[in-house]
Amino acid sequence: MSQRDVQNRIGSVKNIQKITRAMEMVAAARLRRAEQRIESLRPYAGAIRRMTRQAAAAAGGEVGAQPILTEREEVKSAGIMLVTADRGLAGAFNSQILRAGIKAAVDHEREGHKVVFFASGRRGVSSLTFRDREAQGTYTGFTDRPAYANAREIAEDLMTAYIDGDVDKVEIFYNGYISPLSQVVRGETLLPLQQATLLEGTEDDKDGSPEEEPESGHHALVEYEPDPAEILQRLVPDYVEISIYRALLESTASEHGARMTAMRNASENAGEVIEDLTLEMNRARQAEITQEIMEVVAGAESLV
Amino acid sequence: MPAKFKVEVLTPEGELFNDEVEMVSTRTEVGSIGIRAKHTPLLGMLTPTELRLYKSDSDVVRLAQGEGYVQVGPEGVLLLVEEAHAKDDLDVADLREKLKRAEDAIAEAEDGSEAEARARRDKRRWEAFLSVAGEGEGGGA
Repeated sequence: MSQRDVQNRIGSVKNIQKITRAMEMVAAARLRRAEQRIESLRPYAGAIRRMTRQAAAAAGGEVGAQPILTEREEVKSAGIMLVTADRGLAGAFNSQILRAGIKAAVDHEREGHKVVFFASGRRGVSSLTFRDREAQGTYTGFTDRPAYANAREIAEDLMTAYIDGDVDKVEIFYNGYISPLSQVVRGETLLPLQQATLLEGTEDDKDGSPEEEPESGHHALVEYEPDPAEILQRLVPDYVEISIYRALLESTASEHGARMTAMRNASENAGEVIEDLTLEMNRARQAEITQEIMEVVAGAESLV
Repeated sequence: MPAKFKVEVLTPEGELFNDEVEMVSTRTEVGSIGIRAKHTPLLGMLTPTELRLYKSDSDVVRLAQGEGYVQVGPEGVLLLVEEAHAKDDLDVADLREKLKRAEDAIAEAEDGSEAEARARRDKRRWEAFLSVAGEGEGGGA
């Protein structure tokens, strides 16, 4: 390669490096915002949980029978919800979700269950189409910044499918957020909802305002509009919405974390390539100089 | 001057309001409700409407409120809503579009199915929001 060629290549690799650096910084900024949104959900989720306990206590300690709590004896068809991103360039972020989802689907099919796919994120939707597994519900255009309304739409589709008998079980796969550097694929059963998860305490409880431990007996005086059993009818589906919203938020944070890491690696690789090319260019330049000196010396010698 | 009490409006996306007010006006499944200081303890299910928070007679915060819950306790009032928007943030064209989709879904869905019930809830919500935006056809809120 001539000196000029090498120079051109160094130029283009430097441009690539600038782009990957910029993408890394953008991802870092979005990651911080995504982390804050996970934090913002906590007080709401905690309050819903306390309210459920209060209403359940008032309704006689039970959440009561609800279609999404009822487990089906026979699973004929299973719904699989994949949470991916609208964009790529984030390492294995999207592909590991697809791999986990397809594997679960194959397992279901081996047991004779029909599989119905739902997917959020353009990457997941297009990969499913590519593999001839058309998704029944597709949700795109928001994975950078999911709103609660997006989660509600997905939750309602899944619950409707469950209640109306299109699916007998729903599993969700998403990238759980642990830290900017580590994300892990989580597969969870979303429906039927376990009664236990409703009344158990979780981390969300600790950051609630201290006032409520509804078991203190004063709830006998609380007015309910409408009666507690009816309020529970709506509180329970909220858990599904909140679970999906949390999965979407965690997936978004994970996406930005994964992209940050991928782009940092790309920038580092570009740096290495630039170093190698610079060496090569210096060598080419030195070769040219040596060549010229040889020619000059040879010319001078011929004159003697 | 009427006594003031603490009101907090929480959505899944964060806290929207946290201040002292004289009165809260909203709507539960049972009907319209106004809450003043020292209201009896209450747990209610909110339906979409215009939520009004009266800091004083002249200073009123108005929000389009989606489904949610209201809890009145000795410390104050907690409103948990799935979504709440300032009037100016509402996108009328978008809401019209959503309302139309909900109406189509009602027409398509089987009678008595969950799909139908859900479309009716959507319709009610978008109608209420449109009416908060000043575009509704009288009903809704």
